[in-house]
Amino acid sequence: MTGYDDYLAGEPVIITVALTGGVHGREANPNLPETPAEVAAAAADAEAAGASVAHLHARKPNGERSFATERFQELTEAVREATDLVVQHSTGGTGAPLEARRQPLRTDPAPEMASLDMGPLNRYRHLTSENPRAMVDDLYDEMAARGIKPELEAFNDGHVNEVHGLLDRKDLDEPYHTTLIFGGGTLTPAKPRNLLNAVRNLPEGATFNTLGFGPHQLPFATLGTILGGHVRVGLEDNVYYERGELAVSNAQLVERVASVARTLGREPATPDEARDILNL
Amino acid sequence: MTCPHLEYRDGDHADTERAYCTVVDGFVEPMRADICNDRHDLSHATHCEFYREAEGLDGEGDGS
Repeated sequence: MTGYDDYLAGEPVIITVALTGGVHGREANPNLPETPAEVAAAAADAEAAGASVAHLHARKPNGERSFATERFQELTEAVREATDLVVQHSTGGTGAPLEARRQPLRTDPAPEMASLDMGPLNRYRHLTSENPRAMVDDLYDEMAARGIKPELEAFNDGHVNEVHGLLDRKDLDEPYHTTLIFGGGTLTPAKPRNLLNAVRNLPEGATFNTLGFGPHQLPFATLGTILGGHVRVGLEDNVYYERGELAVSNAQLVERVASVARTLGREPATPDEARDILNL
Repeated sequence: MTCPHLEYRDGDHADTERAYCTVVDGFVEPMRADICNDRHDLSHATHCEFYREAEGLDGEGDGS
């Protein structure tokens, strides 16, 4: 189990950069990268700033969501050419059917990692990203068949239960890499005590990212670093640098948490160190 | 059927025409554009609060 001892030991911290996402676009922040070339350039800058994993969503030319393998192929090739980052494809997709969500897993080569939502998430007023267990299992099975390590996204504490359930149903390899997400709505309330509880409830053999949405990004990354975890930052999760001030780049957000990690005695992991830690 | 309140317009934040909602008078998020266009399992009449409010579909008692 990742924990405070890892912090005291100065273990490297894996910084995942969520570069673009699929929910918002340039209407939220004009600096958000969308095309493969833009995402690859942003990924290279983020790598130089200390990131070791790139969480990727594909877009259409007009910035709208794409689940197509062909769009992910173009994107992942651009990122691989520009960086040595661990490539992680998103399989998230509110309102999209299973077949669409399988598409990001089918690039050649397969991504080293892929995200796997552990359960439902409310969106807007009338929409829920459902993620029923049958869909989770189907996506996991395709990841396992292609040698892709899942990154288990827990939107709330109930989803930590779902992590345990997935381990009961499936034969995952350690470490079980999770992302604990904090914010409003269906997410775990962004209170420090809730991060402590969530970490305590993870299974033995788990590692975790700490992901705070919006203004919670920096404090929760800091807390996660002290608790021996890893962090995810980027314009997918937070478009601001400070209150009222839009971030100028993903690299700016990465650089800030890398600096915090170094101040706290943990160096940002290189991509190869991340591969060793995550047993890729 | 695409939402009748959807237009694609040039914006100053991108080189391509973007989904624009005439109800809220603003460009819409990429995921909301899937709702506007009724893509996948999404429907503007079911999932968009702005359309529903404009059409009087979100009256009292909704969600209770």
